[in-house]
Amino acid sequence: MDKIHKPKKVFVPGAISPQFVADSIAKHQSKTNIGAHAIFLGQIRADEKAEGHVTGIEYSAYEEMAEQTFHEIREDAFTKFDLICMHIYHSIGLVPTGEISLFVFVSSAHRRAAFEASEYIVEQIKTKVPIFGKELVGPAGEYIWKENK
Amino acid sequence: MSINILYFGMLAEISGQANEHLAGKENMTVNDLKGQLFEKYPEMREKKFKIAVNQKIGDDETIIPLSAEIALLPPFAGG
Repeated sequence: MDKIHKPKKVFVPGAISPQFVADSIAKHQSKTNIGAHAIFLGQIRADEKAEGHVTGIEYSAYEEMAEQTFHEIREDAFTKFDLICMHIYHSIGLVPTGEISLFVFVSSAHRRAAFEASEYIVEQIKTKVPIFGKELVGPAGEYIWKENK
Repeated sequence: MSINILYFGMLAEISGQANEHLAGKENMTVNDLKGQLFEKYPEMREKKFKIAVNQKIGDDETIIPLSAEIALLPPFAGG
């Protein structure tokens, strides 16, 4: 029988702290059927633009559709890969340069499923989830709307 | 018939609001709506965006149902 996965809340206000990531790892120590974790962390780059350096990204989203799309990506990944568990967190609001805005955490019995699923999930998030980002540039409060490549 | 339109990112800046209600008609398509929007906000013509109809991305031929929620979505930047 297929397991039913309840929709989980993905958005967290502001940056995702290294402590939050560490605590998430620690919570899996009791799940002893897991043999491999793959973790992807997205970090804000200080890209150089004509107006100055990027100092942070302010994220906004069409939240209802985004949460539903995250849910579909999760269900799809559970079907495609032999995973034991999966967690996705994305920032909403301001994330300063150097801090974490995306945390994808997949666990499986063996490494291949975890490696492949983490890449697949990140690519799906980049292209399908309605999240928008303002790159804040330089000291004068200017900004550029970001677009995923 | 009235359709609720949500604007995001740079499109909310162009419209000057996060949402508004526009008059619609039976069997109106996404393309018909774009025509109305471009007339009201000529700046939108040069912008790249997708339109979600009740939270599903539609194409130009998608019919807009009665009291649909429409969202104008600029390029995605998650990650």
